[in-house]
Amino acid sequence: MGSRTVEVAKGVPPLAPEREVIWPKRTKEKLSNGLQLILAESHSIPKFHGQLIFLSGNAAAADRAPGLADMTATVVRTGTQKHASRKLEEDLRRIGADLSTDAGSDTSSISFSGLSEFAEPLLDLVQELAREASFLEGEFERERRQKLEEVKLNRTQPAFLASERLRKVLFGAHPYSQISPSEAQVAAYEREDLHSVYREFYTPQNALLVLVGDFEPKDLLKSIEKVFSTWTGNKPSAKTFATPANPRTRRVYLVHVPGTVQTQILAGCHAITRKHSDWIKLGLTNTLYGGAFNSRLVMNIREDKGYTYSPRSAVNALRQHGYFSISAAVRNEVVAASLTEMFYELDKLRSLLVPESELADAQNYLSGVFSLGLATQDGLLSQFSTVAQHELPDDYLETYRAKVRAVTSEGLLATARKYLDSANMQIVLAGDRAQIESQAALFGDLEIFDAQGSRLE
Amino acid sequence: MNRLQVAIEHKKLANGLHLVVAPDSTAPVVTVGVYYKIGFRLEPQGRSGFAHLFEHMMFQGSANAPKMQHIKLINSSGGVLNGSTSYDVTNYYQAVPSNALERVLWLEADRMRALKVDDENLKNQRDVVKEEVRVNVMNEPYGGFPWLDMPPVAFRNWANAHNFYGDFADLDAAHLGDVQAFFKTYYVPNNAVLLLLGDVKPGEGMALADKHFGSIPAGAAPQFADPSEPEQNEERRGNVREKFGTLPAIAVGYLMPKRRTPDWCAMALLDQALHGGRGSRIHRELVLEKQIAVEADGGIDDLFGYNGPTQMTTKILHKPEHSSEAALAAFDAVIRETQEKAISADELQQLKMKWRSDYYATLEGGRGGYMSKYGLMHLLACFTLFDNEPQLVNTILDGFIAVTPEQVHAAARNYLRPEKRAIVFRVPEMAGVKEAA
Repeated sequence: MGSRTVEVAKGVPPLAPEREVIWPKRTKEKLSNGLQLILAESHSIPKFHGQLIFLSGNAAAADRAPGLADMTATVVRTGTQKHASRKLEEDLRRIGADLSTDAGSDTSSISFSGLSEFAEPLLDLVQELAREASFLEGEFERERRQKLEEVKLNRTQPAFLASERLRKVLFGAHPYSQISPSEAQVAAYEREDLHSVYREFYTPQNALLVLVGDFEPKDLLKSIEKVFSTWTGNKPSAKTFATPANPRTRRVYLVHVPGTVQTQILAGCHAITRKHSDWIKLGLTNTLYGGAFNSRLVMNIREDKGYTYSPRSAVNALRQHGYFSISAAVRNEVVAASLTEMFYELDKLRSLLVPESELADAQNYLSGVFSLGLATQDGLLSQFSTVAQHELPDDYLETYRAKVRAVTSEGLLATARKYLDSANMQIVLAGDRAQIESQAALFGDLEIFDAQGSRLE
Repeated sequence: MNRLQVAIEHKKLANGLHLVVAPDSTAPVVTVGVYYKIGFRLEPQGRSGFAHLFEHMMFQGSANAPKMQHIKLINSSGGVLNGSTSYDVTNYYQAVPSNALERVLWLEADRMRALKVDDENLKNQRDVVKEEVRVNVMNEPYGGFPWLDMPPVAFRNWANAHNFYGDFADLDAAHLGDVQAFFKTYYVPNNAVLLLLGDVKPGEGMALADKHFGSIPAGAAPQFADPSEPEQNEERRGNVREKFGTLPAIAVGYLMPKRRTPDWCAMALLDQALHGGRGSRIHRELVLEKQIAVEADGGIDDLFGYNGPTQMTTKILHKPEHSSEAALAAFDAVIRETQEKAISADELQQLKMKWRSDYYATLEGGRGGYMSKYGLMHLLACFTLFDNEPQLVNTILDGFIAVTPEQVHAAARNYLRPEKRAIVFRVPEMAGVKEAA
């Protein structure tokens, strides 16, 4: 890679014996109305964190309008019949609680945290928002206007524009191709559309409640039953979408943002979901490539060449499909040079076995970092939520480290060959075409768009 | 009331290095931090951005761990690491499985003892820092608003008023001699605190720290420039162009009282009344009710960690059909209300409950799920370096819980005065926007 020889450290103390990593026991229950519960104790602070997750998000509403589940979640947060906006905020504050609502491609969720002494009143507010959100006309109109401004602002951000284009390129007609509505689509949202998304998605049969914190599971279960047991509602009918074609042949998509002093590079290809048997192997490949500070990509284009501040790569898992991406914001003069290094490092992973010591370093990183989340309530919550949402096996957390350790250099080589082909990577560049067009054209057929998504000649 | 008590042990090594251990064996994870009492406020004149550039240089190699080795050794031990530069401190931290504790101490001690960098490293990191500034400021809508826009408008002392990320000409002018001089002056053990948090037994932690850091020679006590400001007696205003965004933005900053005074506690709760989320007065009035603004939030940046003049700052992005003066008038009406009428006991009670809950969350986390105890580390470091009293982590809450409605009312009248504030208008270059005065 670099032009510089890497010197090794002298006199490094060895690692002490590892302490066993023990994930807290999870209590799993299902209420008679279908609501699934996952509870785990963590007594680090006298608080608890939770998430009420509905297994339907923007993708499930995409046939109606892009971003509709997200807009619905935003308006849910504005209040209920019993708790109009102002009273809701005051009552949350009175019990020291935080609460937010959100929807991504696959889920809608209400996330919250608060003092353990007020667990039941907070759960009661969550329950109310899940069942009795009022969707007042005034709240809806205000939030729609806010959303319009947010959508406009997003279109001035190179990182957003690059993600938006990459998702379109990779997912075509599949709902995963949409990460944001257009201004016109926001303007066309109807309050009744939001309300029907709410009625369909926000039901106990479609929900998981995950709670982590300083509580006695038995006592908390009683509160949960008291608060949630009278809630009813069916699972929404499942939607199926045709599998998007994996784009073949490298192409370049330039999103023209006049006046930018830097170019956002984002390249990607199809990958896999978390349930796939190659998930851990691909995760480890990504760690080596650009998923850690100590990775080949970061050492090359940041620490050796100084092209960029924050290069990285990632395996992004949505529920039905996944994709791999490489990103870096680089100065305009080195767009071609950066892409060349990105692909060089990718090709190298497909051509040469990873040395044993580098493999061991990456394994240690991935298994160590996986356990760091143990120390906080929200770190635990995020792991338990991921396992539940992606329907991973019950022992996923407990067996993860051993599976990481079992990967071999040969396995990595096969994984890189299977998934990471620079000849088929789709390249998005968000930047000023006058500065970068000739560099962009070196890497494949070029299409140019403006920030609104229109083709430019 | 279920109060959180953090076990803390504190001592000072012979070379002046403070050592703080906060054991907690819940998870097999330890967070190690080193804080140096120098930030960008007191970096050398003519070298804006240098404290931050220097922070990058601390990852470029030391006597026994050459370039890339610090990062490699932490990552390959299963840990994560970073550093950050703020007004009055610079920190370096890592969270690792606890079996890597001694390795982390060895690495931190090696770079405290003998940073070893060359011109090529400096050129490399100067390039990286320029890309950092481009991605965070120059290429980003509202980049640097208001943390880089406000200081030159609000302050008169260079220490407080300069560009903390650095003018590119100053970054280019920095040479290896500057790096060595800065290291020798400020990166001495007697200007630092080492913190060990999490899965570590205090006795073992102390012994390991002594083993690796004890023989680093103390340096001369650093001389710090005076950061104080001449008294402000008039409202100050300035304009900054916004290149990408289309919404006009306003930032209003009021001078804060000194840290750890009763006024400071009262201002912190007043800040919560004004800026504490969706229920706060400014958000409610400007965004939810009058609907002039799309965003209206803000607060006191690093309440526990400032050691010089600072402000409570409100940021407003408003709809272009309202003039900036109209938006400012709506903001002023909220401020006036806090001065005309004391906060109710009920509102203050809510704020205190939220304050306590937020405080616990700060101690546990603070930098995402993977960096546990970042907040605790930061508070312990600031209370040690500025107050020589890390135990304040367990008592500081009392001062906030004791605040009365009268104190909040008095703080509003004494501190939220026009002649104690500065206003920055971030004006979009797009046509058709009403310009502010």
